[in-house]
Amino acid sequence: MLRFLVTRFLWMVPSLFVISFLAFVLIQLPPGDYVTTYIATLAASNEIVDQNQAADLRQRFGLDQPMIVQYWKWITGILLRGDFGLSFEWQQPVSELIWERMALTLVLTFSTLLATWAIALPVGIYSAVRKYSIGDYIATFFSFLGLAIPSFLLALVLMYLAAVEWGQEVGGLFSEKYQTAPWSWGKVVDLLWHLWIPVIILAVSGTASLIRVMRANMLDELNRAYVTTARAKGLSEFRLLMKYPVRLALNPFISTIAWLLPNLVSGSIIVAIVLSLPTAGPLLLQSLMAQDMYLAGAFILLICALTLIGSLISDILLAIVDPRIRLE
Amino acid sequence: MSGFTIAITNALEFITSKLEGITVKHVLVGFICLVKQFHHFTCKDLVMERVHWTSTQCIHTTNHLLAPFHQGIQAKNGGIGRRSILKGAAGVAALSSVPGVVFAQGAAKEAPDLAKLVAEGKLPPLAQRLPSSPLVVTPLEKTGVYGGSLRRGLRGSADHNGILRMVGNQGLVRWNLAFTQVEPGVAERWEVNANATEFTFHLRPGMKWSDGKPFTADDVVFAIEDCCKNSELYRSVPSVLVINGKPTTVTKVSDTVVKFTFDSPYAMFLENLATPLGQQPTLFPKHYCSQFVPKYNANVGDLAKAANMSDWPSLFRARCGDIEIPSRWGNVDKPTLDPWVVREAYTGGATRVVMERNPYFWQVDTNGAQLPYIDRLTFSISQDVESLMLDAVSGRLDIQDRHIDSLQNKPTLSQNMQRGGYRLLELIASGAQQCQIYFNITHKDPAMRAMFSNKEFRQALSLGIDRKEIIDLVYLGQSEPYQTGPRPGHPWYHEKLARQFTDHNVKQANEILDKLGYSRKDAQGFRLRPDGQKVFFAIDVIPTLYPDLVDTLELVRRHWVAIGVDMKVNTIERALYYTRGDNNDHDAAVWPGPGGLDPLLDPRDYLAQHPQGSRYAVPWTLWYVSNGKDGQEPPESQKRRMKLFDDARATADLAKRGVMVKEIMDLCADAFETVGVCLAVNNFGVVRNNLQNVPKGYPNSWSWPNPGPSMPQQYFFQS
Repeated sequence: MLRFLVTRFLWMVPSLFVISFLAFVLIQLPPGDYVTTYIATLAASNEIVDQNQAADLRQRFGLDQPMIVQYWKWITGILLRGDFGLSFEWQQPVSELIWERMALTLVLTFSTLLATWAIALPVGIYSAVRKYSIGDYIATFFSFLGLAIPSFLLALVLMYLAAVEWGQEVGGLFSEKYQTAPWSWGKVVDLLWHLWIPVIILAVSGTASLIRVMRANMLDELNRAYVTTARAKGLSEFRLLMKYPVRLALNPFISTIAWLLPNLVSGSIIVAIVLSLPTAGPLLLQSLMAQDMYLAGAFILLICALTLIGSLISDILLAIVDPRIRLE
Repeated sequence: MSGFTIAITNALEFITSKLEGITVKHVLVGFICLVKQFHHFTCKDLVMERVHWTSTQCIHTTNHLLAPFHQGIQAKNGGIGRRSILKGAAGVAALSSVPGVVFAQGAAKEAPDLAKLVAEGKLPPLAQRLPSSPLVVTPLEKTGVYGGSLRRGLRGSADHNGILRMVGNQGLVRWNLAFTQVEPGVAERWEVNANATEFTFHLRPGMKWSDGKPFTADDVVFAIEDCCKNSELYRSVPSVLVINGKPTTVTKVSDTVVKFTFDSPYAMFLENLATPLGQQPTLFPKHYCSQFVPKYNANVGDLAKAANMSDWPSLFRARCGDIEIPSRWGNVDKPTLDPWVVREAYTGGATRVVMERNPYFWQVDTNGAQLPYIDRLTFSISQDVESLMLDAVSGRLDIQDRHIDSLQNKPTLSQNMQRGGYRLLELIASGAQQCQIYFNITHKDPAMRAMFSNKEFRQALSLGIDRKEIIDLVYLGQSEPYQTGPRPGHPWYHEKLARQFTDHNVKQANEILDKLGYSRKDAQGFRLRPDGQKVFFAIDVIPTLYPDLVDTLELVRRHWVAIGVDMKVNTIERALYYTRGDNNDHDAAVWPGPGGLDPLLDPRDYLAQHPQGSRYAVPWTLWYVSNGKDGQEPPESQKRRMKLFDDARATADLAKRGVMVKEIMDLCADAFETVGVCLAVNNFGVVRNNLQNVPKGYPNSWSWPNPGPSMPQQYFFQS
């Protein structure tokens, strides 16, 4: 196990390098650079950038240098000083900008994850065990509905209902009073009060698909000989289910952790924009649109690192949950 | 590695979405329109009326569906508990009274909240906060009352100038409302020597920064000599402060007198100072910003390191900002001279910006009451421009023209006036031309170059355009055929430049093209060049910025088919548009032609002077800006105009300057480099009915950064 962990960690280093390079190239692919986009954006409002300053900007940000030089400066900054650079647009350190949004993003994503699993697992197991019962049909109906509704539309409908029917405040994660207040008990309650709409919206499609996956996996396992054997040996039905078929059916859930982590940052951008949530997604989109190289690069690097870590975690968990899987 | 693939796919998705310019709101509103169609509220009528199918236009058919939800999220922007509105169940009615909360007051000379602070001893009395000779502003209609909170909208990215336009117009001098004359601002008066090389400004004695520290000549000297002329901070000195390649020298005469000296005459200096790019002299408070400059603080390197910045110039820009970068509004500690100062900053993570009145603001109304009248500005930040439009039509913005002033929005804005409780604000176009076509006279391909650089060829294409049809269909009849030049009514209006070759004459156009050697035609009836290639070129246009130009070009394309010329409407993304222009890769491009009201401030269509603007000959502009070192040498007519332009800028005498401008316009008319379609069209913004002292209309310009010069500090809310 230890050896496995060490090799995996060692492999991450070159992977991250390749990824960071690819990410950098990808961001540079669209025509123009930050300064072009900046000038174009201002020109859209008939505003002019001082001609002397435009050239300065490019030089100051090092955009006039070959890409490989820009990459080198960026990556050495990160490796040697832990400095992710300055966002071109905001003149603020990139790490500051990202962390500012990460805390709320984490809260939102983990609440969503918990909600998803808390609903999907029991319902999935139930609808497999009670196959073709009324309950199964109801669960199937709602899970297909959940899969079919685009989440941004659901967001709009829920915002409408919440605002008009229930008189709840929607949009954003805090009410006016707490928006800039320091953290307090009241603010936490306020956050929870606002959190449920985005959590439900984000959880719906995830829950729906997980229910289907769980049901299918369970159905595969339930007819296996070991289930019959266990039952013949007199194991109670609940203990039997939990100890054997559920454990095996969980495999796909654990594998998905690999992409749950990167979804922290890049998932649910549309919903976040519709609900104007101060999470990381809209900031990522905005930085890519503005070609704000260092901000976008740091985001993509973060997503990739999270993916690598996520797949490692899911591999380890798989080995723990399913004794048949050997890592060596 | 599947997650990695996903990451890449994500990135690619963003890039493609960026290329296509489709925003989330487009998808969303489009979707709602579809849903609506099922409910028989067809949007089809709109299409049949030849009105363009844009998402915004769908809004007015859909916004009664969305209205309750707008009111729902109102609380975020409006500053009142939303629950209370909904319980009152009188959504709109309740909202309209919100900003009008003002307190009856007698002859109060300062805002009630400031008076309270003075009474508590936390703030010096008014007399000590005002300069001995404050700027007296005559209110547009009547003197106002204190109070209220004004709501405006910003876009999430690169929208710092939206704040600048509202509050940041406090330079040494400023434009008058009519955009014809420079008036006193921070400087109460000034003297100019006979040959326009020395400008002496008299500041207001006793004037204070927003933190109560005195504002003196030292601040101006510091801003120019220690900041703008510091080559580490500004690699080249901002162009407003430079004439003939030599920057100004600023000297302190006394605490309240400061002198700008130039090596050569600079008659346009005052006009340039009144534009946003001339704000540097009053931008940097010495007592605060000097801590970030090595000359005054040897330990600035440590400060930079502590702030996680690579060097001191980065730290300086992050703390003290510059004219048009977001960090100007990102630091709540930086003192300013503006009517409102930042309370909640414009930073990368912000969802709104809040500004509150400056207790030391140096302007008063005719009763001697300190401005501004309005307590607070709240800028909500929308991720998407379409949602700003939704905010505007549902009356959740008190004054807004920025981002929503497109021609396509006008019907929607006027239809919702009643419901949104607002009136329209006319934005007088400062441009000359709605759709300037720039043929690339310096095309890299010799055959194309020969074609475009021939004046008669351009003349034939101009005659081939049916301008009346375009004006009727695209601009709803609100314009007239036009080439370029100062607008009708402007003292420098030039009839020939404006009207030549604007009639639709297919016969004459065909004759000219036959004569030029394009008489052979291919099977489809398109003309062939002497080398056997089809007469074909592409015109670059950015659909996301100027949808009307795409419609115009489609009609032009059809008109040109009649004279055997094949044109492609090349809709591209904006960064690509700029890159193609910078590299001189374009055949032709369109852009609204500026210089209608401010011909000498933005003369890019009259001579090749702007590398990102004069798109008919980018290499000539490079020749001009580099003093002949780069680019290509332009023809005599251009060189003469460049000389005249430089001379005109150095001539203080308006009559003499007029003679020079006349010659520039004569030469420009003879050269006929750009082809125009019609006079630039006025646009519209919205003002809530209870907001007073706002002009009915004002110039829409960057040099006159609307609404700033209309003095928002004297706007007020009627109760």
